[in-house]
Amino acid sequence: MSDSGKQIHDNLHTIFHPESIAVVGTNRTVGTVPHDIFMNILKDNYQGIVYPVSPGANSIAAVKSFKYILDIPDPVDMAVIVFPSSVAHMAMQQCGEKGVKSVIIISAGFREVGGAGIEREKKILEIADKYGISFIGPNCLGVINTDPAVHLNASFARKMPERGNIGFLSQSGALCTAVLDYALAKHIGFSKFVSFGNKADVSEIDLLNYLKDDPETKVILLYLEEISDGRALLNTASNIIADTGKPILILKSGRTTEGAAAAASHTGSLAGSDEICDAAFAQAGILRCQNIEEMFNIAIAMAYQPLPKGNRVAIITNAGGPGVLATDAAIQQHLQLAEFSESTTARFKKHLPKTANIKNPVDVIGDARADRYDAALSAALEDGAVDGALVILTPQSMTDIDSIANKVCEITARHEKPVYTSFMGETDVSSGIDILQRHNIPHYILPESMCTSFSRAFAFQQSLQQKKEAVSPCSDCERESALKIIESAHKDFLTEDIANQILRAYGLPVLDGKLAKSGDQAVSIADKIGYPVVLKIVSADIAHKFDVGGVQLNLKNAEEVKTAYQAIINSVEKKRPEADIAGIYVQKMAAGGTEVILGLKRDQAFGPVLMFGLGGIYVEIYKDVEFGIIPLSRDDMDNMIKGTKSYPLLSGARGRERSDIDSIIDCMRRLSQLALDFPSIAELDINPLLVHSKNNGAAVADVKIVLNKDR
Amino acid sequence: MDKKEINQGVKKVIGQVLGINKNEIDDNANFIFDLGADSMQSIQLVAAFEEEFGIEMEEDRALEVQTVSGAVDFIAEQLG
Repeated sequence: MSDSGKQIHDNLHTIFHPESIAVVGTNRTVGTVPHDIFMNILKDNYQGIVYPVSPGANSIAAVKSFKYILDIPDPVDMAVIVFPSSVAHMAMQQCGEKGVKSVIIISAGFREVGGAGIEREKKILEIADKYGISFIGPNCLGVINTDPAVHLNASFARKMPERGNIGFLSQSGALCTAVLDYALAKHIGFSKFVSFGNKADVSEIDLLNYLKDDPETKVILLYLEEISDGRALLNTASNIIADTGKPILILKSGRTTEGAAAAASHTGSLAGSDEICDAAFAQAGILRCQNIEEMFNIAIAMAYQPLPKGNRVAIITNAGGPGVLATDAAIQQHLQLAEFSESTTARFKKHLPKTANIKNPVDVIGDARADRYDAALSAALEDGAVDGALVILTPQSMTDIDSIANKVCEITARHEKPVYTSFMGETDVSSGIDILQRHNIPHYILPESMCTSFSRAFAFQQSLQQKKEAVSPCSDCERESALKIIESAHKDFLTEDIANQILRAYGLPVLDGKLAKSGDQAVSIADKIGYPVVLKIVSADIAHKFDVGGVQLNLKNAEEVKTAYQAIINSVEKKRPEADIAGIYVQKMAAGGTEVILGLKRDQAFGPVLMFGLGGIYVEIYKDVEFGIIPLSRDDMDNMIKGTKSYPLLSGARGRERSDIDSIIDCMRRLSQLALDFPSIAELDINPLLVHSKNNGAAVADVKIVLNKDR
Repeated sequence: MDKKEINQGVKKVIGQVLGINKNEIDDNANFIFDLGADSMQSIQLVAAFEEEFGIEMEEDRALEVQTVSGAVDFIAEQLG
């Protein structure tokens, strides 16, 4: 850890474990943030010393108050600044003079309001920097640590949450209050609960690094509205997951497509910020969630129970219908119904009535009481062919719900396999659900959510086992040659002849071709490279050549080339009279193959992105593409290819010959290197890349490169 | 009205609104940070200054004034 990293880590530790706190700017007005934060620290049984700093009062809630933090005679570990933003810098200055290194700034009115607020935020950052202070906020709800040795509620949340092993980090303060309320109702406990607001100093990266080493935290949840440094987020998250096995679940809002709207290439158009975010998170092993409910559904599974070692589940139910629903959901979520051993089946036969279904899903029948659930669940969990159990209950008149809930808790505690539950209904089952939740047994209203959560937990467990093999660096890529070509480009949109030269320098399989300025020249080039050939208009003003009649395919002789040349010129001059035509590119006609697309794009948050998918002119209609954040491992590239719906076309479905997938991987590796070497390449499309049968390579049939030389 | 009179009037008003001894108010004191005014009291101060000096203060500009000496200068400017 760097010195500054250690300083932040230490200062954060003090924020979570202060021995003394000053609430700077508190007051006596009940129902205001400055007052309620002080009261929360006091009434929620904080184990250290709290000092109110309030220039207008002698005491707050019978606790002696100080005019300034500097007046406090003893050392202060942490300050919570609740003064209005206009004077927050004065409070920060005094914190510095007092030697306080750990601060939370609750007050709003900074960067989020623009104008003078931006200046105010800069000012407090300057002071923090001068005194070596780390601060959370401004514009946040505060911080909670449920560790009984500290028991700190330095926030204006209404209630302190229960103790647990989930760390929750949120950019939105208001969302925190809703989450706390939701969690309280379900007995979901937290280790640390942090609203980090404007993240002017301490960022989500710092907090993730802190929770990595926090022994109280087993699962980390993060709500983000903006990603300021995507690559740092990915690196931090993947390190945490690899080093500790702690799952990281992120709910990221702001799913816009604004960035994609202005793109010139297929890749630019298909690679919206949200799609890239999905790909980036998956690549780093982060579990992305669509909403709060899904986030907690998965979080409780991972925080309360061991991760499933396999996907073979036993479903135990007292009703046929819900059993079938759960089976459908399980299969849909790529789970398997476990096949029970003979001894397990014998145990079922012995303890369950003859009418019971002793195959998976095990139906213990509607009149089942706790003894039948006991027999079925115990036998299932003790079967080596079962990786986890899903227990379903519907409230029938003879169902002893609470006894069954208690029995499930008891059996689960005795085994090291995950058990999830779904007590279906609302009123009658509520006391049973309460028992399950208090004993950290994941409960879901719907069997479908239960199966989804099991599947996500299993997928995470599998990803932990996957060791990513790095790709070898591209040693035969001629960077200097490509640099010269890029530097001499006059326009941002590179014509195909220029773009092909760059690809050739990087060893991509470019077909022979040359620029012709006349029909006769085109014939002479075609004679040299051999028939059949393709003719394509070359103009920096024309991005979509087909749309203007700028392409003629499969020309077999000189006569056809000459005629095609003139036809292209006539068509383009008619459809785009203003276009500056550089000539016509004469290229060897590629042998047939499966058309795929490879592309590059720069994402604001995550940097260079590689795209792979089904290619051809309908690429934007089918949108069968996958993205990866560069650099990519061999496994990442494999996953991208296998992740497309059209993968069977490449892998040899329905008697097709298997395509040369290794050559696609090689192209991906070379393009990744190109993207890393030249930040000025803003967008690139190879569409199509014609992929031949196994061991026969691939060919770049068309390429488009857009530069941004400001980079 | 000269600045000395305005200064005395300002301190009298602050003392009344914030409930503190006017003789203990420093000229450089910040209403919020040094004297403990909350947001409601800041608005009450503006209203009390208007009444004390018979002027009308534009609220946004008035609330930007945060110190005793700042208030004296602002009111002197308003009084012409």
